[in-house]
Amino acid sequence: MQIESKGGVKDLAGTIAAVAFILLASLALWDTTTMTDSDSYVFPRAIAAAMIVFCILLIAYNFINGAGDNAETDAASGAAGVTSTPRRVGLVAAMLLSSLAMPWTGFLLSGVFAFGAIMLFAMYDPWTPRRRIVFPSAALVVVLGFYTLFSKVLLVPLPIGFWFR
Amino acid sequence: MTGLDYLWQALTPLNILLALAGVVAGTVIGSLPGLTATMAVAVLVPITFSMEPASALILMGAIYTGAIYGGAYSAILLNTPGTPSAIATTFDGYPMAKQGDGDLAITLACVSSVVGGLVGAAFLLGLAPPLAEVALAFGPVEYFWLAVFGLTLISALSEGNLLKGLIGACFGLLLACIGVAEISADIRFTFGSQVLLGGIETVSALIGLYCIPVMIDLVATPDRHLKVTQKAKGFRLKEALKISWLGKFNLIRSSVIGTLVGILPGAGGSIAGLVAYSEARRSSKRSDSFGTGEPEGIQATESANNATVGGGFIPTLVLGIPGTPPDAVILGALLIQGVRTGPSLFTENGAIVYTFIFGLILATVLMLPAGLIIGRYAYKSIITIPKALLVPTVAFMTMIGTYAIRNSISDVVIMIVLGVVGWFLNRFGFSPSPIVLGLILGRIAEQGFVQAWTIGAATEDLTGMFFGRPISLVIIAFTLISLFYPLIRKRWSTAGGTANAD
Repeated sequence: MQIESKGGVKDLAGTIAAVAFILLASLALWDTTTMTDSDSYVFPRAIAAAMIVFCILLIAYNFINGAGDNAETDAASGAAGVTSTPRRVGLVAAMLLSSLAMPWTGFLLSGVFAFGAIMLFAMYDPWTPRRRIVFPSAALVVVLGFYTLFSKVLLVPLPIGFWFR
Repeated sequence: MTGLDYLWQALTPLNILLALAGVVAGTVIGSLPGLTATMAVAVLVPITFSMEPASALILMGAIYTGAIYGGAYSAILLNTPGTPSAIATTFDGYPMAKQGDGDLAITLACVSSVVGGLVGAAFLLGLAPPLAEVALAFGPVEYFWLAVFGLTLISALSEGNLLKGLIGACFGLLLACIGVAEISADIRFTFGSQVLLGGIETVSALIGLYCIPVMIDLVATPDRHLKVTQKAKGFRLKEALKISWLGKFNLIRSSVIGTLVGILPGAGGSIAGLVAYSEARRSSKRSDSFGTGEPEGIQATESANNATVGGGFIPTLVLGIPGTPPDAVILGALLIQGVRTGPSLFTENGAIVYTFIFGLILATVLMLPAGLIIGRYAYKSIITIPKALLVPTVAFMTMIGTYAIRNSISDVVIMIVLGVVGWFLNRFGFSPSPIVLGLILGRIAEQGFVQAWTIGAATEDLTGMFFGRPISLVIIAFTLISLFYPLIRKRWSTAGGTANAD
């Protein structure tokens, strides 16, 4: 999803992000006006102001230098090969949904759902009969194992869930 | 009793067993993202209540030292610092793993951790009382300048774009401001949300910013997570020892930095690792290769963070002021045992203290075989587990680990959201490291700045407060050197080249 620039801006993606950061910093500056104690607002105000200055410098730099080398900054991605956006969205959605459902479903059920859904999104090999048995079994062992470790050994009060009370 | 007697007392079968068990338990807990060294020690403290004080200390010290080392596993193999101390380990550890040298990186981390742990313990053994005075010499303004010094690492982490690094750091600093202000208790940047009142928890932010982007990309392609070489290379201990020998000055310097930072109450392993990394990069002949899989980077971080264990015990035992958060837990356990810390501890309770120090050295030495074996197993697991099991396992670990920090579902949601933000920012050329640096150092910098400002204003000497104290001046000098050294070195090499050409 690297954003290409064909026009007059060197790093369009970076420029868009810089604009978004200016808006964020402005929002932060506005929020500091509601603070009463100078100890509270001196530091964030200074940081937000510095952020706006750096963003303006970045935008100016990108405009002055014009279109040219679009530095590949996509360090962590596997952008070289074919990538699947639906799988990416699926992973995030599964994690978010299971987390948000946790107060009702409890950690265990949410964990099983998240694990199962993410397993489907991460599966690229064919579902052979062996895999159909081994992978879900492994999923249950991992979820139950961690659940037991955290709730029984480390005594972390994992949510039981409103439905199971 | 002589030193040799204390050594023999530490070497009882029970103490050896406790040290080994502590190191193994600590390493395993530390390797799980979200479970910090503090949590590892806190969880296992009740076990020590029925033990002799020296044995209890040995067990807790071993858990602590193991957990700090364990954080390197997920940093190297998953780009997720298992503990905050291992943040800088991701910078070169993960690139090494991506290049097929994950096994070497883990062994190197183990050797460096052992060296760092031994140096820290040696300082604790020989120089504890005089060094404890250093902790008292650090006031708010020194902490402020130390945080600023840490922030200069941004120039090293910005991957060729300093402006983006600075913007990222500002973003991290603003994130650190969310919630209730530490000094004035004003509520900041919550926009009416109850969820944000508690602020952004650093470890969950770390997990989100480092781990979630990796998983998002991992799930999108059928490629393997890490490059796997055809031939099994074993522990690669010889190779790691050779690299360690060649980088011995880096190891020793980083260990000393780790010990000294560990002495400062509240600073901790993450700052020690970052400062040592910054110094290693500045002084290295291969500074340009830092961040791309440079073994010296791992050496610096891992030796420094393990040296904080011994360093942190110095103010804990001599002054009763915990140097690092796990030390605070250990201090509490000691008080329950009836051991009173303070300058007299070394004379009145020498048997307990010196037996413990020798026990800590023993645990650090045992970390070498234990760490190598566990590390080898962790590496093999990561490269052999099918992606359809690896990704959901890591995702589940991040969720449960994040939840366990504050027993908060909101933290889990914030972690995921920050991960998505981090993924987009990464795409736009913003590295996550400056953001994390800002988030960690923001609170220390703000607290130090505001306290120093208040004291300076009350004494009507703001300039003297910020620029007139000897330790502050030393840190400012280091900060300036760190910032401008690449420029100076470039000029020197240009001048040298011109002279040679003449």
